[in-house]
Amino acid sequence: MAGSEQRVVAVILVGGPTKGTRFRPLSLNVPKPLFPIAGQPMVHHPISACRRIPNLVQIYLVGFYEEREFALYVSSISNELRLPVRYLREDKPRGSAGGLYSFRDYIMEDSPSHIVLLNCDVCSSFPLPDMLEAHKKYGGMGTLLVNKVSAESANQFGELVADPETNELLHYTEKPETFVSDLINCGVYIFTPNIFNAIEDVLQQKKDRANLRRISSFEALHSATKALPADYVRLDQDILSPLAGKKELYTYQTLDFWEQIKTPGMSLRCSGLYLSQFRHASPHLLASGDGKRSATIIGDVYIHPSAKVHPTAKIGPNVSISANARIGAGARLIHCIILDDVEIMENAVVIHSIVGWKSTIGKWSRVQGEGDHNAKLGITILGEAVDVEDEVVVVNSIVLPNKTLNVSVQEEIIL
Amino acid sequence: MKALILVGGFGTRLRPLTLSVPKPLVDFGNKPMILHQIEALKEVGVTEVVLAINYQPEVMLNFLKDFESKLGIKITCSQETEPLGTAGPLALARDKLADGSGEPFFVLNSDVINEYPFTEIIQFHKSHGGEATIMVTKVDEPSKYGVVVMEEETGKVERFVEKPKGFVGNKINAGIYLLNPSVLDRIELKPTSIEKEVFPRIAADNGLFAMVLPGFWMDIGQPRDYITGLRLYLDSLRKKAPAKLASGTHVLGNVLVHETAVIGEGCLIGPDVAVGPGCVVEAGVRLSRCTVMRGARVKQHACISSSIIGWHSTVGMWARVENMTILGEDVHVCDEVYSNGGVVLPHKEIKSSILKPEIVM
Repeated sequence: MAGSEQRVVAVILVGGPTKGTRFRPLSLNVPKPLFPIAGQPMVHHPISACRRIPNLVQIYLVGFYEEREFALYVSSISNELRLPVRYLREDKPRGSAGGLYSFRDYIMEDSPSHIVLLNCDVCSSFPLPDMLEAHKKYGGMGTLLVNKVSAESANQFGELVADPETNELLHYTEKPETFVSDLINCGVYIFTPNIFNAIEDVLQQKKDRANLRRISSFEALHSATKALPADYVRLDQDILSPLAGKKELYTYQTLDFWEQIKTPGMSLRCSGLYLSQFRHASPHLLASGDGKRSATIIGDVYIHPSAKVHPTAKIGPNVSISANARIGAGARLIHCIILDDVEIMENAVVIHSIVGWKSTIGKWSRVQGEGDHNAKLGITILGEAVDVEDEVVVVNSIVLPNKTLNVSVQEEIIL
Repeated sequence: MKALILVGGFGTRLRPLTLSVPKPLVDFGNKPMILHQIEALKEVGVTEVVLAINYQPEVMLNFLKDFESKLGIKITCSQETEPLGTAGPLALARDKLADGSGEPFFVLNSDVINEYPFTEIIQFHKSHGGEATIMVTKVDEPSKYGVVVMEEETGKVERFVEKPKGFVGNKINAGIYLLNPSVLDRIELKPTSIEKEVFPRIAADNGLFAMVLPGFWMDIGQPRDYITGLRLYLDSLRKKAPAKLASGTHVLGNVLVHETAVIGEGCLIGPDVAVGPGCVVEAGVRLSRCTVMRGARVKQHACISSSIIGWHSTVGMWARVENMTILGEDVHVCDEVYSNGGVVLPHKEIKSSILKPEIVM
């Protein structure tokens, strides 16, 4: 094959506003893909990873949000990376494969030899260049990024079985009830353009079936699964699962961290994972300080250049401070995300929490979570413009935007 | 004649409903809350209503466009860029309110529903000749509010006491004022409290008079009071305009059903129920003490009481929804599910029962 024609196009699925209500209350103010993780919008991390692929010519963000929600971000990131990034809005739900197929003309415009498909809310080291090399060696239609997890947690994901020698995907099943395998689908794929043929075949089959079969009204009322329209094609169940074992699909295992960012608790955890990745790959992005001329920094901490942190404050580990935030004298921040324009007053303590844009944390007040990233009230989340008054304690609570807390609360959701 | 409606605020106590629309546009008795006030003002001859707002002006302005022509009254917005308290907005809207005619203008708090006896208020104001009239209402627990201490016969206000410790009186500020334009000269364009700063000064000049509000009064800024308020409102409709209420063998007590709503066979609706525009209530449904908002569907055999069903939501077959369940916009309660006080944010599906009061995000 001609080496010079190996162009790659990446597609990042970003979801939409009414899906994924698990990211509330933060998603009430900002689309989840734009929520800052380790100082950068969530979608920035897969985009940066794609940039490391040789011959990457275009990135598409595909989702259900209004175009204007992404307009500013897409234009600034294209500029910054000197790489065309474009947001494409899906007109109706067609499933992950159906959505990809509906934009095939855009994707194929650059005649790519390979298509990288990623889910935006995946937190990973994204070993894309190596995965692409492996995909080329396997010579199949697609390669899935896979990860080994504990047997107990495996059934939350797509479980798959791979041939230990050839790495071929032998079997795939989505969220099974019984144990199939501890190897799971990471939501990162590399395909050759034949994937569109495979999707087209499935679409045609569905159309044929819909024409042939007349579902009786009894069946329609009692069907166990919701009837899906004929043009709804899910990548995992409808494409990958049937193709397993036919020497078309292969696996590439990641040995680094991998998580899904479905809840605010996980965004805090993943922020920490990316910060620790910066420690190796780009340490200049992290803050440092010893308490003399600038604040004491422990562990991995990101501080936006426009934020002001008093030298007597102690920050870290795992803290991310966004633009224009002000951290007062004697404040202590541990395991938290501080969003834009937040003011943290003197001697306040924030642990295992997310503090929303423009909020204020009063003097000697304490905002903390237990640190269980998966529990509903495992970390404390303050929405936009929440004011915590002096000396108030907020533990394991979620506070929606525009509230003032003048009494202490524990384990509460405040609307 | 002019009027100012203090809209302000984020309406956080009426969440999750106010996550979808600003509070004045939340439906009450099958129409946006603020429409009750605007219609009553129009009836007494008000030609321009100014809405003092500070949140989601675009949504309010769109609403105005729809209603200005339908109602035949001028509606404008006065937008605070910083919070101005309860009096500051009057200064901000000064030019609209003081039109040189010397006529007094109304100021209303948008959360309050009552019978809007504006004609009686105008008469009272003329008769005492003072600078300002404030409406008061009698409550059982005055210490929760600001109490207005007044002379019983004339209504002359002596003073205000905020959350009094002992008993000083049982009349509180009902959130309706009729003010002479001269009051505007007393208010600077800065955060000012009308009760703490402006009214006490007018009272000291013997210019402030209070009248007890006839009929019902309710601050419907939170769900429990919204439901009580609906009962009071429907009671009042029964007395004043009984033809507007529904009747029939399927109706119990006071029930308001919008003309575009559909009620199936074998239902029992009431007491104290409002069913909004475009709603579909299927056969065999029991509704009591609840509001079903525009476009919602209640499926067969379901039972709803003491709850609010938000716009375009569905309640499944045989579902039971009760005890201050509040469903936000586009919430779908699956068949056979039980919700005991669930407070559900917009765009959710409830597949399993909520056994005790809980917020579902």
